Amino acid sequence: MQATQIIHAYKQAPWRVQRQYIGAFLLVVIGMAMIAALYLDVTARAAVAGREIQELRFEIAAVQRTNADLETQLARMTSTAEMQRRALELGYRPVKPGELGYVPVPGFVAPEPDILSAAEDVTSRAQALPIEYTQSLLEWMDERVKTGGSR
Amino acid sequence: MRQTYAVRSLILVIGLALVGAAVIAQMIRIQNSEQAKIFLSQGDRYAGAFSMVYPERGEIYDRGGHLLAGNRTVYEVGVSLIEMENPDKLASVLGTYLGLTYDEVYNKLTGSPENWEYVVIQDYVGAETVSSLQQLMQQMEDASDDGLTGLGFKPHFQRSYPENALASNLLGFVTRDGRGYFGIEEKYNDLLAGNPRQVWVPLDPNKATDIPRVPNGTTLILTINRDLQAKVEGILDRALANYGAENGAIIVMNPRNGEILAMATTPRIDLNNYIDYFSTYDNGSQYNRAIGMAYEAGSVVKVLTMAAALDAGVVRPETTYIDTGSIEVGGITIWNWDRQAWGQRNMTECLQHSLNVCLAWVATQMGPQSFYGYMERFGLGHPTGIDLSGEAMGRLKVPGDSDWYKVDLGTNAFGQGVTVTPLQLMMAVSSVANDGHMVTPHVLYSMLRDGHQYNVPSQYAGSPISVETAHTLNEMLAISLEQESSKALLPGYRLAGKTGTAQIPTDIGYDTNHTNASFIGWGPADDPQFMVYVWLQKPSTSIWSSETAAPVFSEVAEQTVVLLNIPPDVVRNQLALTK
Repeated sequence: MQATQIIHAYKQAPWRVQRQYIGAFLLVVIGMAMIAALYLDVTARAAVAGREIQELRFEIAAVQRTNADLETQLARMTSTAEMQRRALELGYRPVKPGELGYVPVPGFVAPEPDILSAAEDVTSRAQALPIEYTQSLLEWMDERVKTGGSR
Repeated sequence: MRQTYAVRSLILVIGLALVGAAVIAQMIRIQNSEQAKIFLSQGDRYAGAFSMVYPERGEIYDRGGHLLAGNRTVYEVGVSLIEMENPDKLASVLGTYLGLTYDEVYNKLTGSPENWEYVVIQDYVGAETVSSLQQLMQQMEDASDDGLTGLGFKPHFQRSYPENALASNLLGFVTRDGRGYFGIEEKYNDLLAGNPRQVWVPLDPNKATDIPRVPNGTTLILTINRDLQAKVEGILDRALANYGAENGAIIVMNPRNGEILAMATTPRIDLNNYIDYFSTYDNGSQYNRAIGMAYEAGSVVKVLTMAAALDAGVVRPETTYIDTGSIEVGGITIWNWDRQAWGQRNMTECLQHSLNVCLAWVATQMGPQSFYGYMERFGLGHPTGIDLSGEAMGRLKVPGDSDWYKVDLGTNAFGQGVTVTPLQLMMAVSSVANDGHMVTPHVLYSMLRDGHQYNVPSQYAGSPISVETAHTLNEMLAISLEQESSKALLPGYRLAGKTGTAQIPTDIGYDTNHTNASFIGWGPADDPQFMVYVWLQKPSTSIWSSETAAPVFSEVAEQTVVLLNIPPDVVRNQLALTK
């Protein structure tokens, strides 16, 4: 009985209750501080990333402009008039039809220009892919309903 | 004592709590006050700026991947009036570098309205000039000289044509306001220009991803062969000089699918100086005579008359006609080009000697209903539908029109009294070279957008004549060229074609001193892979197309077979056997 009373008194001791309050308060403060720190960290990182995105956008625009400039410069350096001038300087002359030799090469397909071979041919892809590969489930169900289950 | 402390503590806590609550209440009040709304809206104004984003205009390539129209960077040179320290120095430097006077620049810098923060000194300044100015700015900054403070450069694109005047009549041009005029640039302006968008560009880095991406304009690949185009332009220019012609046009087309391989006309302008347009042309139809200018083409139209008559079963190649040198149609006498009687001739010979009387007789045998029915089906009087801006329709008078007379049936049969563009006639005659099927001429080969390629399919504009008729007439025209020992012939290749010498109508009748010389031909005759149309306006060395347009055709054919890798007939047949 006495032991129980001592334990009870210990639990109810004012300093112990105060410590519990202080502990709980500190826990909240630490928790909030952690959340604030995390928030600040994430926000700071987001701000840095955002700034980098902005800079990259400017860089992309600058690279695109440089790209366009270089393409145009290259086109000027390889223009018909320029190439003809250089060919004549090197001692070449225009060929006549009778001077050409023709050799059959089985299976030869003339290469496409780079500008075309680099791009995906949507026209041919659209024709090559069966509808099963492009149709969504909802579209399929819609079609089945409209066609009465027969295709 | 402890109770007193407790009461005091409680009062202190309540007091602090009240102060805290008052602070929070004040914060809420301020946040929701009218002034706060004003402050917020003012803050929003500085949170970013609206900016019009113009996508990079799509490029134009030939079928071999050579750039015909691209873009280059130019700069808007301006001064921030808020940051400007020394207008005198700025005026002096910018005047020298930009080719302006000191006063011009100084007045802009000091005479602008007070609320202006920025003033443009000059736009479309080249990269070299800007680079020099930037170097000077750097040097002055290093020397702690703030004379050019406030000077800024805004880069943007300008259309650039690396081939200068090559294919200028076909490409068209883009003015500084970004709009395309003539040719491809006008026809596909919306595709090339893309969709300019006004976007909100936030200064808040957290919102950087909100900036929408504006895709570039569509890149176009043309059916044009750049090297052939250059050759054909050279041939045309020489022909004008050699034969003393005023102007001209040459078109090379694939008669199987309507792809235009080359289209040369005169005069041409350097597209980088498109302002020359105003001093070069009197009106828009002159910009591309091959499609924009209809004329009386003369005897080249006999190909269509004969095609119609053969198809209608009115004549056969061996049908004979006794040519007395003239024929009366609708009360008017029609004469041969030499006013001579050619006696008994079959239809191939009628074409070979280009006998007006014979072809007028053929048309009268068909009758107006049948004749004009065929001409309509050949597309005369209608645009071809080519994907180039500025196409003319020509004029085909038909019975019932107020200005149609009976004699027109006779004259129209040999290409007088009916106006066509070179391209219209090419499209019509393509039915003869392409097994009776008429092709729709086109210039666009493919489109590229966001890394995807969209090919443009060939289109057919009907079959005005049967396969048999096409083959028969093809053979007749090949024979007539061979028997005539025409200057249009090309050794090693069997070609088919027809000359056309036409008088030029004026307000007081036909001009007796000048002609339009034309030639239409194709080859190889047994498997046509190219079709060429030549038109020389008012050649002065000879009025006859057999002496002017025909040799030009031969020269174009020679270059075409080389550049398109078309072997001579003997070699081609041998290669076909080895396959």
